[in-house]
Amino acid sequence: MHTPQINNNVTSDNGVIDLSHHLSDEARIRVANPLKDIMRVISECPVTDLIPMANGDPHHSFYPFQQIMYEVPSVQDPSDPVTSWNNSGRTQIFHSYRDQECALPISKAFRYSRAAGLVQCKDALTNFSNLIFAPPNHHVMLTFGNSDGLTKVFRLFGQKGDYFLTDEFSYPGITNCPLPYGVKWVGIKMDSGGIIPEELEKVLIRWDEAKLGRRPRILYLVPVGQNPTGSTLSVDRRKKIYAIAQTWDLIIIEDDPYYFLRYDVPQTNCASADPDEFIKNFTSTLIPTFLSMDVDGRVIRLDTFSKVLAPGMRLGWITSNKLFHLKLGEYTDSSTQPPHAFGQMFVTEMLSEHGWKIEGFCRWLRSLRLEYQNRLDFLLDVFQREVEPTGYASVKRPEAGMFVWIEVFFEKHPRFVHERCSGGSPVVARTNTECLLKELFETLMNVQGVAFVPASMFTIPENALWVESDGHVPLGDRTRFLRATFASTEDIIEKGMIRLGKGLREFFQE
Amino acid sequence: MVFLPSTASATSAVDVGLKRSHVDYSRYLSAEARSRLPNPIKSIWKVAQVKPGTINMGNGDPHHTLYPICEVNFVVPSIDEHDPVQSWRSGTGEQNIISSYKDEPCALSLRTAFAYGAGAGLKDVRDALADLNDRIHSPPNHTVSLSLGNADALTKCFRLLGDPGDSFLCEEFTFSAMTNAALPLGIEWVPIRMDNNGLVPSDLERILSNWDEAKQGKRPHVLYTIPCSQNPTGSTLSLERRQQIYQIAHDWDIIILEDDPYFFLQYDLGVSQSTIQQYGHTRAMAEVLPRSFLSMDYDGRVMRLDSFSKIVAPGMRLGWVTSNSYFADKLDMLTDSSSQHPHGMGQAFVAELLGSNGWGVDGFMKWILSLCNEYQRRRDLFMDVFRQKVATSGFATAEVPQSGMFVWIKINLEHHARFSASQTPTVPGGPTTNTADLMDELFRKLLNNGLVMMPASTFAIADRTGMMGSHINDRVNFFRATFVGTDETIRNGLATFGRTLEEFFL
Repeated sequence: MHTPQINNNVTSDNGVIDLSHHLSDEARIRVANPLKDIMRVISECPVTDLIPMANGDPHHSFYPFQQIMYEVPSVQDPSDPVTSWNNSGRTQIFHSYRDQECALPISKAFRYSRAAGLVQCKDALTNFSNLIFAPPNHHVMLTFGNSDGLTKVFRLFGQKGDYFLTDEFSYPGITNCPLPYGVKWVGIKMDSGGIIPEELEKVLIRWDEAKLGRRPRILYLVPVGQNPTGSTLSVDRRKKIYAIAQTWDLIIIEDDPYYFLRYDVPQTNCASADPDEFIKNFTSTLIPTFLSMDVDGRVIRLDTFSKVLAPGMRLGWITSNKLFHLKLGEYTDSSTQPPHAFGQMFVTEMLSEHGWKIEGFCRWLRSLRLEYQNRLDFLLDVFQREVEPTGYASVKRPEAGMFVWIEVFFEKHPRFVHERCSGGSPVVARTNTECLLKELFETLMNVQGVAFVPASMFTIPENALWVESDGHVPLGDRTRFLRATFASTEDIIEKGMIRLGKGLREFFQE
Repeated sequence: MVFLPSTASATSAVDVGLKRSHVDYSRYLSAEARSRLPNPIKSIWKVAQVKPGTINMGNGDPHHTLYPICEVNFVVPSIDEHDPVQSWRSGTGEQNIISSYKDEPCALSLRTAFAYGAGAGLKDVRDALADLNDRIHSPPNHTVSLSLGNADALTKCFRLLGDPGDSFLCEEFTFSAMTNAALPLGIEWVPIRMDNNGLVPSDLERILSNWDEAKQGKRPHVLYTIPCSQNPTGSTLSLERRQQIYQIAHDWDIIILEDDPYFFLQYDLGVSQSTIQQYGHTRAMAEVLPRSFLSMDYDGRVMRLDSFSKIVAPGMRLGWVTSNSYFADKLDMLTDSSSQHPHGMGQAFVAELLGSNGWGVDGFMKWILSLCNEYQRRRDLFMDVFRQKVATSGFATAEVPQSGMFVWIKINLEHHARFSASQTPTVPGGPTTNTADLMDELFRKLLNNGLVMMPASTFAIADRTGMMGSHINDRVNFFRATFVGTDETIRNGLATFGRTLEEFFL
């Protein structure tokens, strides 16, 4: 077992650690634009005003768009744009023009672009990123959202036989993605505060390369409003995890779609009309990201507009060190190409002088956070009224995100089975918790007419080879939760909780 | 996934259903595609939708009341103009406003467009494109999935069909940005000879029948072709060649990737005005457009890639893939495991454009016909100036392209004093002429004189099989030129070209 040097306090000059050894074979083989040589020769040509007869790009005069107008909420009202929006409040129009000045003109937006995306949109998001996250030395690349970004990042690092590390309860919509090409997952133990750093370290120390192959080097996290448990990693845990990443040479993939939906934070003084003051107050309510502490360049951060604008926006961005940025750009050029003009235009105008500006977008975000917090409060109230009194389930208030993680006390069920454990594999379940959970899920759906997602859909299979035996409770015995969302309407939440309460009673008192 | 295969039109084959039900398409798939599972959370969503009245607390989707866009207006050309493209470009035409709403009726509500959806794309848009497919190609029995454009679709098809070590067939000059994209996946390319009319079917047959699996690995099972305005040679495959190629594909069990972004830019069509008046633009165009591989695909072995890039704009990042429903399903699983469904604004725009408040399908085909006329005008200008400024010297020749954006200019190097046709190859099977060197020299000379054209070497696929008999570098005496720029660009560019050729040869 290899125990590397502890080097918690590495400070690299501007993050020039060579991390190229993390790249997959595919990423290593991939070359930049095959026209690169030609492009180089062309760019080195001293002649200015070259007559272009090389590219098959439709001339912009053929684009059938003269103007695009988007009607959006006005964020001038300082207190609550989200509520105003739903009460016929004032609106604002963003414009994309062909013939007039705007932040990203139509003639430029609809062209073929390369790699990281259109410079105007990239710059707008870089400014935003710098202001909010203050990354030490990173570059921004546009994506079609975090699923797109993540699957590109996975291909960048993963190949057959590799293991990736993540939370023991994880969103399979993402973790299933690299399985077909032979990447497997190691689930790390969590508590209500998220992934447990000491457990992560134990797995790394214990890892037997002779039996399992190369020690995992990729750590995938959703550090705010984790899906499905709703947990948020504290600053202290983040520092510990980063130190572990430095010691064990891990890449941290920071997937953060719920970053701005964090609750119970001191309210930004919204009456402040001064934009800079508002932004300063707003950012003070945000939790420091892994990106912001990334002196080594080993963090790849993924941001998306899906939860703060709309899922169908299909736009996000990746912030990473220069090498990974270039490699991701190469991969984008070899696959999806950079994102659509519509999304890039909208976001660029939104952040521009004629739009909401960064300050206005932050007002929207703040207002959105309050709105979701109201819904969370509502759900917890109804839960307290309809479910808690049954004594069969409880829920902790999540710090962030869109989900509550409802714990069900299956040990109270008449058919709960507990076998005494004496030796045997540390990962085989000793109770029928998971079976009862699936039964409950089905009866809730088919009999009561309410759909939750059972914890069993999120579990990463355990392997005895990396789990320590002493005192370990198998994951199967801890799979006793239902994930519920509070992102819907009050009517749905109320009905859902009532049906849950009724369903629990009927299930436990069969 | 909820798909609707394209509705059978009157002209579709009747016996196709029976034949197809016995075909097992899974053998074409990569190991990766075979093992891929659908998104399990979406399966809960589907079940929840099946039973009416189910309260869905499963999915963390933002509610539409929180989408900060309630209306999007697109100011587009009016399709009522006689020549819409001409009027648009000269600024003399009328405009139309196409609108998408969140809370008011329209073709595709923003409530739907801005929500999460299935990888295949929204039904309204798929149906509209399936309808267009039906009217143009009458595909026997296929399904439409949306893509983010042809680069996205094609590279997904590579993942779908190719395992490391596989050999795929392509035209010997091809869109190398895409063939390069396949290399890190471990796919190797086997080039097929071309002549003035494109891919040579007998060479395709020769490669397949001479293939030795013991020495060369698995016989190729995929053909990548750009049948219209082939990139870079600009040729368009004749109906006869397409039929021959399809037969060969049938005999050797090959999947055809029909990459067709220039399909709707066709010239010398002879569209019938009376058909337009009686039946509309779509029927009139359908009668004269080339027969696609899709239209003859009774085996279900064609995956056809269409794109809005050249007929609307590259930044649309939207296209559609038409294939048998099995491949469509597997493709959508890959999409659900990666880029996800296409962006709402693009889908909303297409739905409105093709809907009754927009141009409609006929109006869209009218725009396309207008585009064809405009590009044809430029093609004609290019060929005229070429004849005057270049061809007269005899140093270069070019065929008139029937579609698309490219002219494949042949440089007659045999006239050059330093041309050598009898060099000893430095490696076995290597080039026996100094074509590549002379072309490099000419390219740099053109650059110094202020003109950029793409040299053939950029697009050349070298043969690794040793079966071709001649090295492609002996045949790279071409430039790919485009005529999509302004009239001035065409005139100045070709004048420079002609002048430079004279300097080079004399």
